[in-house]
Amino acid sequence: MTQRLRNWLLVAPAAAWLIVMLVLPLSVVFVFSFGERAPSGGYVPAFTFEQYANLPARFTAFKNTLILAPLGTIMALLIAYPLAYQLAVRTSQRWKTLLLVLVIVPFWTSILIRSYAWIFLLGGGGIPALLASLGIEDVRLIYTPFAVLVGIVYGYLPLMVFPIYVSLERLDKRLLEASADLGAHPATTFLTVTLPMSISGIATGCMLVFILLMGEFLIPALLGGGKVFFVGNALVDLFLQSRNWAFGSAVAMMLIIIMLVTVTLYMRLISRLNVQRDDAQLM
Amino acid sequence: MLKSNLDMGNEAYTERAVASASIAELNDVSKLFGTVQAVSDMNLRIAQGEFLSFLGPSGCGKTTALRMLAGFETPTTGKVLIDGRDVSTLEPYKRPVNMVFQSYALFPHLTVGRNIAYGLKQRRPKIDSKSIDDKVTHALETVRLSGFENRRIWEMSGGQQQRVALARAIVNEPKLLLLDEPLAALDRKLRKEMQIELQDLQRDLGITFVLVTHDQEEALSLSDRICVMRAGRIVQTGTPQDLYDQPNSRYVADFVGTSNFFDGLVNQINGSTGSISLRGGRIYKSHLSGAISVGNDACLSVRPEQIRLHLSGTPETLEGKVLNRIFLGEHTEYLISQESLGNITVLAPRQSDEGLSNLGTGDTVYMDWSADAALILPKD
Repeated sequence: MTQRLRNWLLVAPAAAWLIVMLVLPLSVVFVFSFGERAPSGGYVPAFTFEQYANLPARFTAFKNTLILAPLGTIMALLIAYPLAYQLAVRTSQRWKTLLLVLVIVPFWTSILIRSYAWIFLLGGGGIPALLASLGIEDVRLIYTPFAVLVGIVYGYLPLMVFPIYVSLERLDKRLLEASADLGAHPATTFLTVTLPMSISGIATGCMLVFILLMGEFLIPALLGGGKVFFVGNALVDLFLQSRNWAFGSAVAMMLIIIMLVTVTLYMRLISRLNVQRDDAQLM
Repeated sequence: MLKSNLDMGNEAYTERAVASASIAELNDVSKLFGTVQAVSDMNLRIAQGEFLSFLGPSGCGKTTALRMLAGFETPTTGKVLIDGRDVSTLEPYKRPVNMVFQSYALFPHLTVGRNIAYGLKQRRPKIDSKSIDDKVTHALETVRLSGFENRRIWEMSGGQQQRVALARAIVNEPKLLLLDEPLAALDRKLRKEMQIELQDLQRDLGITFVLVTHDQEEALSLSDRICVMRAGRIVQTGTPQDLYDQPNSRYVADFVGTSNFFDGLVNQINGSTGSISLRGGRIYKSHLSGAISVGNDACLSVRPEQIRLHLSGTPETLEGKVLNRIFLGEHTEYLISQESLGNITVLAPRQSDEGLSNLGTGDTVYMDWSADAALILPKD
């Protein structure tokens, strides 16, 4: 009995947190999504599917998010993997800590400020000016999908690096020697040993970055300049500017549904790839 | 001429080993890690088909020597030859050698069968999958794990994993099989079993085995030849019996088997024999081994089992008092304190006369040994 009571006590704070901060707001959004906009903005109770029928009006936001979030995740993976590999496998213990700290350092400054730096870099006086001095004129970078992609990859790279770093760091380096000893070319060793053994890190990193990118609004707002906007930007606009809470709730619900479906499919895929690894980790 | 030597025992064997084609050679090999000299001026020829062990305490350079054969380290100076070819800087994956790692280093994400097939799949030109399957089946048979192809590595016990590691290496039919303390992680009983299996396997396959171990018993029971190492250098290479009977230094005598060492001064040398005066004034004539000249500090080495115990003394015997006795079944080990030579360990066979078998702590006893049973060794 006391054991039971103790379990309840231990779970209680988390449960309370979840109910107050997640379940309640979500329920509100759910209910609002079937309501209507009050004439002066806000919410009027109703039961209508009008808001959902209206969703195609925000098609561009969904399209941008569903293209740039996966693309950003893949780009971040392609850049983060070699970096994590270098840190975990090839860097001596002495340099490792310093270089790892360098990966985290950007987090000490607000993403807002760092994104402003990119506005300058990608804007007229930055990289385009540099290219112009080399004879490549009229390159427009800022407020393009490319600018947003650069921004999100830059912002979320560390979140991709760390899980991969951990999985590679944990990899027994003698396995790489064993593979070489058995006659495998370094490239083969990478494909048949290193990569399969770091799948769990890749999976975690991609999941983390993808979920956060789906809800991103700051970077598109700054580097997309209102031309390249995400669902997140649409929500900010609907809730804070036009005060159409009912439609905003429907957009939010749609985003949640899309996330649930993609993340579930993704988890299925990973767990299939990962069956062997999970079991191996029980050792 | 070689064949006629075959039946002549261990000394003949050594000659044969050196005379027959060497499968691998280390020529003046040194390896530096930063400022640490891991291996110094190592010279060794490994004969085709022999079972050679590197024996020494940790940090003596034995593993570095093995890793230079495997290709995981390149020598700082000197040459490594395998099958007559200079492989000093050749990458590990291009060498015709395979290694059994101390921790086995089996791939946890692959089944037993795919672990064993791993090396075969790297071959160019490619081997067809039917032959690979056959070879894997055969290798598993060889290590007595038939039918374990689809098992996962973590489902196997330590001893079974050890066998998988062996199968994964031998299936490639390497020119050299390198074993890095392969039995260190097994319990004593299993280790004994695996020692016998290793020996049988080596005999059946005819592959040259190079073993690294710090366990003298293991080296003695498995090897055709042992290379005793110390601080990056080879101290002595020879058959187990050579090393036991003719150690060239106190270090080898102490590392291969156990011995009593009595410090003294060499006062006469006559060919291969000499005499040494020990503390307390006694002078012993004995065979010399290693580099010694008159006037050197040296020591007399007498194996515990070579010392005879007597209940009554003569002018030639040493008097001592029994400090401790340990009954070991067939033998009894005595620790005897001697006034000028210190503590002496004696391993006496059972039987003897009833007086000796009743020896107890505090009793007076007399010791001697035949001149042939002792060796004068350089002090080091």
